[in-house]
Amino acid sequence: MNENEQELFEAELRRISPARPPADLMARLMAAGPPDMMRHEAERPVVPGLRAWWLVRLGWLVPAAAVVIAALGVWRVRLSPARVSWQTRAAAVAPALKADDVRIGRELISEFDAVARLPSGEPFRFRCCQWMDEVIVGDKARGIVIEQRTPRVEVVPVRFETY
Amino acid sequence: MNGGCQRETTAQSDWEQWLARHAPGLLLYARQQARCEADAQDLVQEAVVESWRRQADGAPPPLGFVFATIRRRAVDLARSEDRRAGRETVAMRETPACWFDSAVEERERSHLIAEAMRNLPELYREVITLKVWGGLTFREIAKALEIPANTAASRYRYALVELRKRMPETIA
Repeated sequence: MNENEQELFEAELRRISPARPPADLMARLMAAGPPDMMRHEAERPVVPGLRAWWLVRLGWLVPAAAVVIAALGVWRVRLSPARVSWQTRAAAVAPALKADDVRIGRELISEFDAVARLPSGEPFRFRCCQWMDEVIVGDKARGIVIEQRTPRVEVVPVRFETY
Repeated sequence: MNGGCQRETTAQSDWEQWLARHAPGLLLYARQQARCEADAQDLVQEAVVESWRRQADGAPPPLGFVFATIRRRAVDLARSEDRRAGRETVAMRETPACWFDSAVEERERSHLIAEAMRNLPELYREVITLKVWGGLTFREIAKALEIPANTAASRYRYALVELRKRMPETIA
């Protein structure tokens, strides 16, 4: 079959159309939708149109901005000695610190979901968690406590299962 | 409050237009995938609702995504049915629903094409359905069937040749 014949044959096939769905199926489909739209609208606080548009179109910027802010925070703490707390400075000038009370912990500050869209139109969800990492080093004998708290943002992409 | 009502009305209107346009093609594909008419209708409903629900902004889902969901659900359904005794479903397959529009002037042609399509191997049948009556591109077909785009295109050409062989001269 050459290209011309193929096109003619395709046109022949397109002349017939798929059977229309039975009325009861159409009624079921009409009644079913648009899915979740109503529920989401009811649950969401009412926002002005522009803001809603912003949230939908630029929602993916939220986790990206959070990552950048966290990275800047970490960079400033590590590279700027002038900003080290007075406890750290005191520890630095003191002779060897005997750390006998070390605590490492983390605290969940907040968590939220963000949804972005791939160029193919597929939705892509991100799970974002804001943590506060905490390290406490203490020397009980000398009464020194060094405490460092570092904010950290964890962004985990969660792919929707589609196939 | 008016804004909310207006949004709901618009969404409902989009929904109805989308369904009117695409439901026939989706049902045709589901009928080819399912073992009985009731299953086909359920597949369409579940796939459409599921696909739409996954749209974060409430916009209509990409059509290829809905076809892929129908296919995936049909495979799951077939697996679960295979575990049961299949006598009832086989009996229902003997009275298939009409696949195409049966307007008087096209009735004979529709019947012949439907018969030829039924006799095609499933691989060929689904690629023709997705392209001709689903309106998908080869890229979308490839994604829906989880095959390379080149394979989708070549399979489509082979499928047309096979379908044409099975048609009476007057139409082919």
